[in-house]
Parts: sequence; C-alpha cells; structure tokens
Amino acid sequence: MILPEAGDLLTPATAIDGFRLGCLIDASTGLVLAAVQAADGPAPPTAAAGAADVVNVLTLLNGKLATGEILEDVMITFSDSFFMVRPVGHDPVGQNTGPRILLLVVTDRHRTNLAMAHRSLRDLCAGFLA
Amino acid sequence: MSQVSGRSRVRQLADSVWPGRTVNGYANLIAARLRKLADEGSTGMLPVSGRGDGAVFFRGGRVVYAESSRTARPGLHPSGLAALGLTHDEGHAGEAGLVAPGPGGALAGMLELTELIVDALADLLCRESRYAKFRPAQVRPAGPERPMPVEELLAEVQRRHEVQRQLAAVVTADSAVTLNPSLDPPLAQVSPAQWALLARAADGTTPRGLALQIGRSVFGTTIEVYRLLELGLLVVPGRPPAGHRGSGTALSFLRAVPAERRDDDEGEGARAGSESGAGLPARRRRGK
Repeated sequence: MILPEAGDLLTPATAIDGFRLGCLIDASTGLVLAAVQAADGPAPPTAAAGAADVVNVLTLLNGKLATGEILEDVMITFSDSFFMVRPVGHDPVGQNTGPRILLLVVTDRHRTNLAMAHRSLRDLCAGFLA
Repeated sequence: MSQVSGRSRVRQLADSVWPGRTVNGYANLIAARLRKLADEGSTGMLPVSGRGDGAVFFRGGRVVYAESSRTARPGLHPSGLAALGLTHDEGHAGEAGLVAPGPGGALAGMLELTELIVDALADLLCRESRYAKFRPAQVRPAGPERPMPVEELLAEVQRRHEVQRQLAAVVTADSAVTLNPSLDPPLAQVSPAQWALLARAADGTTPRGLALQIGRSVFGTTIEVYRLLELGLLVVPGRPPAGHRGSGTALSFLRAVPAERRDDDEGEGARAGSESGAGLPARRRRGK
C-alpha cells in the first residue's frame, strides 16, 4: 500500500452491507493510494483503473459541455455488483490546484441498499475533508 | 578461421547480456538493486544518473524519498492566486509545509509528497539510467519523508511507463505545447489545476517545464496537458488538433494494468478487513 494512513480512512466503508472493495485513487494519475478488500472483492488495480478512466471521460464530457457543473458521483450497476465512485474533494478556485482524490466502493448488488450506501459514501467523503 | 576480431567477439558476447538488450534496459538493473537493498533492510542513498541526476533514499529497507533533477521537489509549491498563475508568488519557496491543506485535507497533503517521490523514481528508472555505489551512511539530511515498499513502487513505475507509452503518440513530457491560436477557441470548462497550466502555457512550453514551475508531478502534469489537448485549448505545434487525429482516446489507465497482475491480485489480494497493496511484486508474479 502506497499510503497506509489512507487505508485507515477506508475502514468505515467496510461497514456498508455487501462491501467488496474500497479504494482511494488519485484521479489525475490513476495511482491507487490504498485499498481494502473483502474475500469476494475484485482486483484493486483493475477496478481502480477502470474507475479513473470513467471519471476521466466524464470530466472531459463536463469540460466540453461547459455548463459549470461538477461531478458529484458515479453509480454503475452490474448484474451482481454496484460500483460507486465519488470525488473526495473539489477544487474551489483559489484554494488548491492539487490532485483530486476518488473514493471507489464496490458492493454486492443483492445485499446492498443503494440509497443507504450512497449516504454512507457521502458522509465518508465529508469526513475526509475534516 | 573466424574473421571477427577478438575484441569484436567480446563486444558481441557482452551485448547479449548487457542491460541495453534486456526488456527495460538499465532500469531492470536498478530495479534489481532496489529490491536487494529492500531485502537487506538498508538505510542510505543510492545515486542514480541517466537523463538526469538523482538519488533514492532508503530507511530500513523502504524508500523514504527520491529526487531527480528533471522532476519537481517538495517545497516549491505556490498557493492561492499564485497557484492559478494570477499573481507571482516569489516567496513560496521558503514556505515549504506551510501551505494550508486544501480539499482532502491531510490526505491531499500526503498524496502530494508521495506523488513527487513516485514521479522522481519513475524518471530515474529509465532505460538510460545507471546507479552508483550505495552510500549506507548517507541519509536525507532534512525534509519530509514517506516510507514506501519497493515492490509497490516498482509496480507503480511500470504502470506509469505504460501510460507514458500510450500518451507518446499525442504528447510527451518534453513535447512543446502552445495555446490554441484559433481566434474562435472552443467553449470549455476547466478545473483550477488546468487553469493554472493554461495561464502559464506559452510558446514552446513543455509539460515538464510547467510541472517544474508549479512544483507538481511531471507525470500528472503531462496527463493534465493531454486533457487540455483533448479539450482543444492547447495544441502541439505540427500535430493535428484534437478531433482531427482520427484515433480514439489515447489515455487508458485500464490498459496500463498488466493482465497477469489482475489474475494474481484476485488470488492474493488482502482480504476481509485487511489492507491490500496497490500492486503485486513483479518478482512474485514471475514465479520466483
């Protein structure tokens, strides 16, 4: 693990019902900072790379649309799992030009309440900013 | 009787085992040296030279810091309006560590240092680089350190080199880029990080030059420049602008993940509440 301290931040995500994988990813470079995995979790490097690619494409889309909006989260539904991606912090003008960090959580679709999981992720990301 | 002179014959034999003939040139030898130092739990400094000069610092078998003359170092980090290129921040070099963490708080702070270390290591581990004698007594005199396992760093460096290979068709860290000279620039929305690059982009600027100016990772800046090329805000002189290249998106982090690593990770990744590494040791992947 590149950033062991970041791994500790992911511990609350393991409490989500059906949790399979949690990753913190540097969206600008695709670097996996930390990952926590359940027994049936997908491979962290692959899942993280896919999530970073998805966000990259959506960021390009947003950049070309130029509507002034920001990406809040991405929910992907597979037949057996949910992929949830959420930027940990946005860069308000004048504050920081640093890298943006993504939180990826993969859960078992049949055991996860999506609304509750969504809320948990939002709270978790808010905790990162503290 | 052979018509090949003895000296040429020796050269031929040497060529067959020289690192220049290996898959990744001298970088393979440096990686092997780093692994050995990690296995021995070494503390000290390994000087490396090649395209640039630099060093890798060890403490207890872990890499705690790396620097290269071709990448940015911690502490040269403009903040506020200067970060956006709107004012000159002449005093920022002396304010290392005093910049208040932005969104992401401490996590972003940790990542910034980590990114610069990985960036330097990726630059040092190139085909042309060679290492000098390890200096056990020489530790980093002062400044921030971040202990990281060698195997995970090497896996990350390998991934970055693959991403750089993808991007090479469009832009490299040393490609000259310039603002789109069109009188009717495309409508686009950019992030503050991208704006900081646009504000500094001038004729002949390179991603590496921009990264050094703002104290950011060369690898990350090259990717950000690529995104600005895709948005049509920057152009590489002599190359067709985005939308006219005919090929799809060059950048894919997914394509940079080796297939064998995925399989291994599924079998050996950390499980059930434990922590997982970002990549498996290449050595184990090869079955050692």
